[in-house]
Amino acid sequence: MKIVAPTSRVAEIEQLALAGANELYCGIVPREWIGRFHAVTANRRPSGNLGDYDELARAVEAAHAHGASLSLVLNAQHYSAAHAEAAAEIAGRFVELGGDALIVSDLGLLSVLAAQLPGTRIHVSSVATCRNAGAARLCRDLGARRLILPRDVTLDEAASIARDVPDIEIEAFILNDGCVFEEGACNTIHLPGRLGGPICLDRYARHHRHRDGRDLSPRLQARLEKNDEAYRKWLWYRFSCGFSTTESGMPFGPCGLCAVPALRRGGIAAVKIAGREAPTARKVASVTMVRTIVDRVTAGASDAEVGDFAMRMRPSVEHCRTGYMCYYPEVLRGREEVTAAQPERGDA
Amino acid sequence: MHEQELAVTAVRPDALDWLTADSGPTERETHWQQTHGDDALAAWLAGFAPTHMYFGSEFCEHLLPSARTLRQALARAASRGLRFALLTPIASPDVLARLESLLPLLPDGAEVIVNDWGVAQLVAARFPALTPVAGRVMCRMVKDPRLTAEWSHQCGHGLDSPALQAVLRRLRIERVEIDAPLFADADTLGRVPWLQGVHLPYFSIAKGRMCRPGSLSIDGPERFAVGRRCRKECLSLAATTSRSGAEDDWPTVQVGNTIFGRQSAAMLDALKAAVRQGFVKRLVVAGEAL
Repeated sequence: MKIVAPTSRVAEIEQLALAGANELYCGIVPREWIGRFHAVTANRRPSGNLGDYDELARAVEAAHAHGASLSLVLNAQHYSAAHAEAAAEIAGRFVELGGDALIVSDLGLLSVLAAQLPGTRIHVSSVATCRNAGAARLCRDLGARRLILPRDVTLDEAASIARDVPDIEIEAFILNDGCVFEEGACNTIHLPGRLGGPICLDRYARHHRHRDGRDLSPRLQARLEKNDEAYRKWLWYRFSCGFSTTESGMPFGPCGLCAVPALRRGGIAAVKIAGREAPTARKVASVTMVRTIVDRVTAGASDAEVGDFAMRMRPSVEHCRTGYMCYYPEVLRGREEVTAAQPERGDA
Repeated sequence: MHEQELAVTAVRPDALDWLTADSGPTERETHWQQTHGDDALAAWLAGFAPTHMYFGSEFCEHLLPSARTLRQALARAASRGLRFALLTPIASPDVLARLESLLPLLPDGAEVIVNDWGVAQLVAARFPALTPVAGRVMCRMVKDPRLTAEWSHQCGHGLDSPALQAVLRRLRIERVEIDAPLFADADTLGRVPWLQGVHLPYFSIAKGRMCRPGSLSIDGPERFAVGRRCRKECLSLAATTSRSGAEDDWPTVQVGNTIFGRQSAAMLDALKAAVRQGFVKRLVVAGEAL
């Protein structure tokens, strides 16, 4: 199982590779792109990108020097004809520099790159929102070697796609930075903070109502308010517990570490750490955490042992119990069933 | 001159029961006024007799109908002389499997509004008698209700991309549907390739798989998780949303897993002009108030 990690600085690549990342991914917004489109991003991130092609070349070199591959992200929600043409130019430059894979969100761009850059490894981004076997087959037929599943899939779904389409690799999220909405179905811009930031974190107030105009009963109103309170708690977890870390940089927030055994059994080829914009310490700690778990699983640790270890690593036992920090909370259901079936130590 | 088509969306089979053989412009205007609370919109829509029933949901897998419900909707559409289209969402493996048994129930020539590449592939490969149409979730476009006109250059779409068109064509898709763009004029809509339909009076802003109101009856670790049962709270509940201190041009509402915006008068004017110029073959009207 490959560990895929984000990078936005050449200087951090060595640390990430040494921590155990097999594959790194980065973005770039060339000056020509900004000048041509008056937009600061070619890949959904106004920051967290490498600055220019020189940096990109050094990033490729650094990754290869430390035994890792480097992928380039081209994952806007959509590309117009002009954007797609410019994105293909960026992709071509990256391949000339020795880059290893392209991460592409637009299936039109995928088909163009597969034709223009034969032999280049192309991964379909989670932004493409492909989360069934039919979509995976289409990606494969268009030339993709790997499909990165969106965040909100279940372990059974991920495994079924991997089983039904064995000739495309499947990658799943494992750590950090959750979205509330499906990336490919979120038609908003991550605005600067003074304008509201991401829409899911903006200061929206809610007025609940019946759609047919009837008044809400006090009981239903109270239940809705309680649900909103739980949602705000979930949102805090979804956004990395207030983007907090341990002193050593280990992040709290969206996590699938307990699910690594199930992902491995399900034939998932790679696990993805999110967070290109994060500080280096957080990225390195994230890779270390995932590497530690993957190695334990590979060495034969049981699901329960992996789960216990993962929860105690930061530690995050109380956070984990809520389920709100989990990419795959059904793992907790499994743990509860095992716990219920087994007597406590000393009971016998 | 082409017939101006008007599709009405419905989640329930009986949602179009208001439409009878006697429904003329007066009855239609009354209905649209009661549904959407906008006199000008109602008066305009009243001029078009409904031609299509759009049944199902583009936004939620839990609203995919059962076979029984789909048959009821088909019968009701046929009895009113309406052509039929099945709305389909981004699909989980389960949705794809269910569609395999639902799509054979559709009559030849029926449309499937696809918002998922796997669904598109299924229709193209297995159901040649059905007509796939790319839905508004698949036809991505920036529609952030917090934006002002200075952001309009970032509110484009990718439908002019020959590469995307080639992929769509490979899937037998040669018609697309969109929400009205935030900062459009009639010419903007006239330049959208393969444009068939434009939705009104709401536009979709962001859709989750996780559903906030759908978590109302769930406790425990999987409260806001995906892939579990749903009581369909969205059919009766909504939340009007607003930003304190902001003067956004578009009112917003969350229904189920999706935030919608209400079109502005300027957007409606642009749409009317585009219809007059023959750029929009079909209007797709929300059959129920959000």
